[in-house]
Amino acid sequence: MSNIGWKDVLADEMPDDLAHEIDIFEGQMELMGQGKLDEKVFAETRLRRGVYGQRYDNGQRHDGFESRELEFEELDRIKGPDTLWHAPGMMRIKVPGGGLTSEQMDVLAQVADEYSDGILHVTTRQDFQLHFVHIEDTPDLMRRLASVGITTREACGNSVRNVTCCHLAGVCQTEAFDATPYADAFAQFLLGHDDIQDFGRKFKPAFSGCEAEACGLVMMHDIGYLAQIKEVDGKPKRGFKVFVGGGLGTVPHQAKVLSEFTPEEEMLPEIQAVSRVFARLGEKRNRNRARIKFLVAKLGIEEFRRLVEEERKTLPHDDRWTAYLDTLPHYEEKPTRPPTFLNGQVQNSEFNQWLETNVYGQRQEGYSVVTVNLPLGDLTSQQTWELSDIARKYVGDNVRTTVEQNIVLRWVSDSDLPSVYEELRAIGLGDPGAGTIVDITACPGTDTCKLGIASSRGLAGELRTRLTAKSASLPDAIKDLKIKISGCFNSCGQHHVSDIGFFGNSRRSGNFKMPHFQVILGGKWRDNAGSYGLAVGAVPSKTVPEVVDTITSRYVEERTKGETFQEWIGRIGKKEARSIIQPFMKLPAFEQQPEFFSDWGDPRVFSLGDIGIGECAGEVVSLFSMEISPAESEAFEAQIALDEDDPARADALAYSSMLKAARALVRTQFLDVGDSPDRIVEEFKSRFFDTELFFDQYAKGKFGQYLLIRHRNPNPNPDNDSAHRLIEEALLFIEATHACESRVGGNVLVEI
Amino acid sequence: MIAPHRLSVKFFFEDLSIDAESFIPVFHRWIRENVVPNELLLDVADYKHVLDGPAIFLIGHEADYVVDFTDAKPGLMYVRKRDAGTDLADALDTTMSQALHGVKLTEDDVELKGKLKLRTDAAAIVLLDRLNYPNAANGDGADAAAAVQAQLSDNLAAIFGEDATVTRVANDAREPLTFKLSAPSAPDVDTILSQLGSAV
Repeated sequence: MSNIGWKDVLADEMPDDLAHEIDIFEGQMELMGQGKLDEKVFAETRLRRGVYGQRYDNGQRHDGFESRELEFEELDRIKGPDTLWHAPGMMRIKVPGGGLTSEQMDVLAQVADEYSDGILHVTTRQDFQLHFVHIEDTPDLMRRLASVGITTREACGNSVRNVTCCHLAGVCQTEAFDATPYADAFAQFLLGHDDIQDFGRKFKPAFSGCEAEACGLVMMHDIGYLAQIKEVDGKPKRGFKVFVGGGLGTVPHQAKVLSEFTPEEEMLPEIQAVSRVFARLGEKRNRNRARIKFLVAKLGIEEFRRLVEEERKTLPHDDRWTAYLDTLPHYEEKPTRPPTFLNGQVQNSEFNQWLETNVYGQRQEGYSVVTVNLPLGDLTSQQTWELSDIARKYVGDNVRTTVEQNIVLRWVSDSDLPSVYEELRAIGLGDPGAGTIVDITACPGTDTCKLGIASSRGLAGELRTRLTAKSASLPDAIKDLKIKISGCFNSCGQHHVSDIGFFGNSRRSGNFKMPHFQVILGGKWRDNAGSYGLAVGAVPSKTVPEVVDTITSRYVEERTKGETFQEWIGRIGKKEARSIIQPFMKLPAFEQQPEFFSDWGDPRVFSLGDIGIGECAGEVVSLFSMEISPAESEAFEAQIALDEDDPARADALAYSSMLKAARALVRTQFLDVGDSPDRIVEEFKSRFFDTELFFDQYAKGKFGQYLLIRHRNPNPNPDNDSAHRLIEEALLFIEATHACESRVGGNVLVEI
Repeated sequence: MIAPHRLSVKFFFEDLSIDAESFIPVFHRWIRENVVPNELLLDVADYKHVLDGPAIFLIGHEADYVVDFTDAKPGLMYVRKRDAGTDLADALDTTMSQALHGVKLTEDDVELKGKLKLRTDAAAIVLLDRLNYPNAANGDGADAAAAVQAQLSDNLAAIFGEDATVTRVANDAREPLTFKLSAPSAPDVDTILSQLGSAV
């Protein structure tokens, strides 16, 4: 034993560039410790190394009764604005296309138990996240990962995030061709590229092989590539249909087609041109409108395309654009075992159930893809190295993470399936139900995320437990429905593209806040995230299991033969859909049902109202509560109008709903505001926006701007897209109004 | 010998008549009431959905308390993450002492009392530091492991009784260096804690 560190031990095993970058980061940490770096600069620096903040890292934690200071040592030492140096954080680890080797899994498991809590979490971008990591451990953590070819560079921050790719690419029955080597080339080309260093916001790419499947979900990405083969001069030519400007987030956008067919040799120069246009013209000051989707929407896809084409002409040649093409003929995955067949061997019912849901027959005969169904995307360090042993034995390095927070073993020889199943079961990873209603996706939510409003993981765990318990009796019609949950409006759980989605918010009942989830119905996972669902109403968190039961029961009862969930929702309409959840939308008083005021898996009282003890009375509701209700109704009416193909009315109703919400808020301070839109907006701006009372801690004034912009610039000819966007904005504005009122506290009460 | 990066001690439940979820409100209360002297308690993490693993964490700044089901052996694990001391002996003293305090807190907790019992006649000790304490079967690493074993044996016999033995667990080389304490004559927690002052 000596004083040598991982830096010395791994010096010959790390790629030079990664080793150098980690050294630089360690130096920056030192400078920050000495107060020689600007806090914002260091924050962005560490984010671009994957070193992320985590809940309570501002040193405050609400214990159910009051917010208390966490007494870390060196409270004046920070690692970014309002972020304490010694508070634990999250480490995000990029895994391009989700591809893993057994050796990488071993090292991931080891760093998880030495630097984290021994739990590896798979994200919806095929990354891994480790939580409760101390910043001073991060350089060594990065070095150990670098020694097996993993980088955390640009896993967070205003950069190109992990490149996702369908986990079936290369073995899929329906793909045009294997997008994997293209995704790899894309990731390598852009990692640390000069042209991506000045983005105003993050940038998420995805690759798909099939149009009709969910595949890489290209329609919801900043840039998406859909593999296509086109005949050119009588010969098949590989390329991509390229989509740009999609995204979920607070206001979801469907991507637009940038190019119907980009030949493979143009893929990298084209993305370089896109990057330059985005860096030059994308919003920088207002980060809430800085994603490329806003730039594409602002310019229009035709003008954006023209700018990209012009930019392309100015790019100096780079050999890397096409160098990777020479390697493509040699790209292959090697199975560990020869192809075999199950040959109708009789198996037990548990195996057959698992076979039905967790095994996908590859296009290569005799091989299958096995999905390891991870509960909430989690596995332990021990499970990880045990899984890596299973991988070594049966599939070698053919392992990938998935965007549904699972892991797949590819190239399993079919006669090995029973053994693989038994070995997975032995390590607690043999659950059936992958990709079904029990396989629920959830972002970290309030467990660890600074932005989380409600407990997405707590809810997902509860739903998983309940649905699994009755999975054998679930009707076939609902078995394959997707449930996806986000802890807030930021959509990390991808709730917009699920059959039944939820995102966390809160409501006030008396003087207490109650965790809620907004219900989103009818989103489409297939067709590369083909369409987004719309919100139908918010329900208390504790009612969600019943809400799911009620919605799915209605679907089973009312569906016509072959009717999908999206089709059913489309047929009954949003109004009827809302009526299904209406009975759950009532808010009980704290004294009636105190359990409604804490979240799943967290016994703390969710929140205390700012009005204070003594003003809590079940017979009294605030004026605000009375007046905000019509605003919510109007926003809902706007959705109906959109369904009825009346964008002008939808636009007007959405705008009106924002005005009503603003009026309700203004009247907590100024009762005589009147009904004039100009006056309402003027008072709202001066009292709540300019004073920043309306500002969200993280979104700042973003939601208030929705009203101000719409009031200032009415759209003379709204179309479906713009009306849809305004409705989403109106819903968020109303949510923000609730939040503001909860923070500031109204003082006008009416008796009912 | 240098203090390991992290050091954990796990005591096993003798009786456990409650499920893991029952620890969640208890741990939240421990944070609120700041029940552990000299340690900053931060949050509760719920991983009860993973099978045979760490189920519920009380996350702290210096240490974590974990209701752990690894290898189907339910127990309370104390993971010392920082400020344990400068050498292995210091780290072991700090970790063992705080782990036993954790056992007592758990057994005496108002919500848990009578519903569980932790054994003191056995424990698992893990050095989470593959740089300084690799889990090697041969060579320098094996020699170092033998030296650690000797030190653990000396230190723990003074606390858990002269017949206490420490053996190295023959686990996979990727896993951390792990030892098993067997102490057939170990006294109860109160007695051990009262002895600790003079033993360490």
